[in-house]
Amino acid sequence: MKKTKITTVGASALFWIVVGILACYGATRLGLGNVTEPGAGFIFFWSGLILVILSLVVLADSVRSSEDTVREMQELNWAKIALVLLSLLLYAFFLERLGFVLTTFVLVSFLLSCIEGTNWVRSLGVASAAALASFAIFELWLKIRLPKGIFRF
Amino acid sequence: MLESLASLVHGFNIALQPQNLLYCLVGVTMGTLVGVLPGIGPTATIALLLPATFTLNPISAIIMLSGICYGAMYGGSTTSILLNIPGEASSVVTCFDGYQMARQGRAGAALGISAFGSFIAGTASIFGLILLAPTLADFALKFGPPEYFALMVMGLTVVAYLARRSMAKALMMAVVGILLGCVGLDPITATPRFTFGILELADGIGIAPVVMGLFGISEVLENLGVLNKTEVFAGKIEGLFPDREDWRRSLGPIARGSLLGFFLGLLPGVGAIVPQFLSYALEKKLSRHPERFGNGAIEGVASPEACNNAAVGGTFIPLLSLGIPSTAMTAILLGALMIYGLTPGPLLIKNSPDLFWGVIASMYIGNVMLLILNLPLIPLWVRVLKIPYSYLSCFIILFCLIGAYSLNNSTIDIYIAVTFSLVGLLMKKFAFEPAPLVLAFVLGPLLETALRRSLILSDGSLLIFLQRPISAAFIIFSIVVLVTPLFSQIRLGRGLSEED
Repeated sequence: MKKTKITTVGASALFWIVVGILACYGATRLGLGNVTEPGAGFIFFWSGLILVILSLVVLADSVRSSEDTVREMQELNWAKIALVLLSLLLYAFFLERLGFVLTTFVLVSFLLSCIEGTNWVRSLGVASAAALASFAIFELWLKIRLPKGIFRF
Repeated sequence: MLESLASLVHGFNIALQPQNLLYCLVGVTMGTLVGVLPGIGPTATIALLLPATFTLNPISAIIMLSGICYGAMYGGSTTSILLNIPGEASSVVTCFDGYQMARQGRAGAALGISAFGSFIAGTASIFGLILLAPTLADFALKFGPPEYFALMVMGLTVVAYLARRSMAKALMMAVVGILLGCVGLDPITATPRFTFGILELADGIGIAPVVMGLFGISEVLENLGVLNKTEVFAGKIEGLFPDREDWRRSLGPIARGSLLGFFLGLLPGVGAIVPQFLSYALEKKLSRHPERFGNGAIEGVASPEACNNAAVGGTFIPLLSLGIPSTAMTAILLGALMIYGLTPGPLLIKNSPDLFWGVIASMYIGNVMLLILNLPLIPLWVRVLKIPYSYLSCFIILFCLIGAYSLNNSTIDIYIAVTFSLVGLLMKKFAFEPAPLVLAFVLGPLLETALRRSLILSDGSLLIFLQRPISAAFIIFSIVVLVTPLFSQIRLGRGLSEED
């Protein structure tokens, strides 16, 4: 058990070390300038370096002790999470192409029926109400511009 | 002082105009609603409504948006007490004793003391704001880039120090926040930095999609399929007015919570979340019967609720007097001020007194509205909470997506929100706190500009931060905060996580 915890925290620290190194590398390409006239990459370089140092501290700490590691969380449903994230990415992709009302209708019915297990009829009813009501509130009442897409709604 | 009172009377004249009263009412009601609903917070709501306020007069708009900020603090406690789920991150502590009180048939008293405590603290913090903000703004006129840089560094180190888990991890998140906050065009040379050829990133990553993803959508993802079984308190809610014994037990905690919340809220970065934990720990320490805490002690509800409301008032001080946002919520308000053509900073009070005093007076009126409306509306909020979470979660996701999209009308912001929802979830899993990341994200560009200007001013000498007394004081304080944990195992943050 202890070994798993150290590995998990160590992996997260290693991830941030890589991020820090990439930030430093990107910063050098942007140009660091000097202390009299800092360049565009100045803040990224020093932040990246500090990130690497702090990650090393966390990594060393995880090797030394098993305390303060992975937060005890309820069991996450990763399959459902992946499906929701994918549906949101597809929503972003189709939003401007198909318009707000249609994409919102599809997204809400998918979330309700596939993810939450609500029956299809109810899902479609709630999804139509949600799409039309949010369009009325945001576009018509609050005058927030929502994409119309190829169907012009 | 007399000048401030005269200005406040002028502020009431502005806030009492029918249009402003209406927007104040809309703001506090929406704030309470989003406070009640877990998953969607005041920050997301302000971002969502911001585009809708562009056509309003700036004073009415800021009155409404501020109403959302403090209204949410009232609403957050309802969910904590009745559902054992904090409607807001700043109402987490209220769950400990509030829900126990509800289970013992004292939900009414818990809701009542939380509303009265919030009102007392909210009112006290407004007076603090009246006294301190103009003075601080005058003082801040002496600030140059080194002072601003040192102040922001101090804010970030304090946030890391108060982290409830590892300080090193909190500092890491602060650094990641700076990295993300500085993406976009270089403020001096206009060189694109880490934009990967995406035009929309030239203006930087927006705060709204980051916050929507980190707090809104990730909350829904975490609760997928879990909250279906949650039951809302089913008993009849009666006795909303606390009795004499409740008041006797609560007055001290309310006073201490208000003071603690207000003064911690003043510090850039502390916000309303950390102070409530401290106030709870303080009351437990001071109590003759600490064993009652966690089992339905009314002090455990009164103090944190007073504290989180007072802290919101406190967070307005650095925003209005220094132009420094201390939370994600005030960061969006800062953005709103700039969109309305106002320059946040020490001159805001002098240049826009109608806005400053009008908003302060409206906060007092809003607190009175909340006290009058909140208790009678509790049955309505209970009904809202009975809506199945599957429906609520869909609406939360939808609002977050619209909010992310609507500020710039860009789908890139939706991709950013979705990415940060996953980041937020993983951060929770690996015990990285989001608060330092968000604060550093907001302060990052300001911090960078202040640092670079300071170095140009001093011809490259870092000693400029120690040669000027105000910035030296901030830097020394930051060093002490950073070094203390090396010599002491007893750290506030560490103690608090054990309390949890």
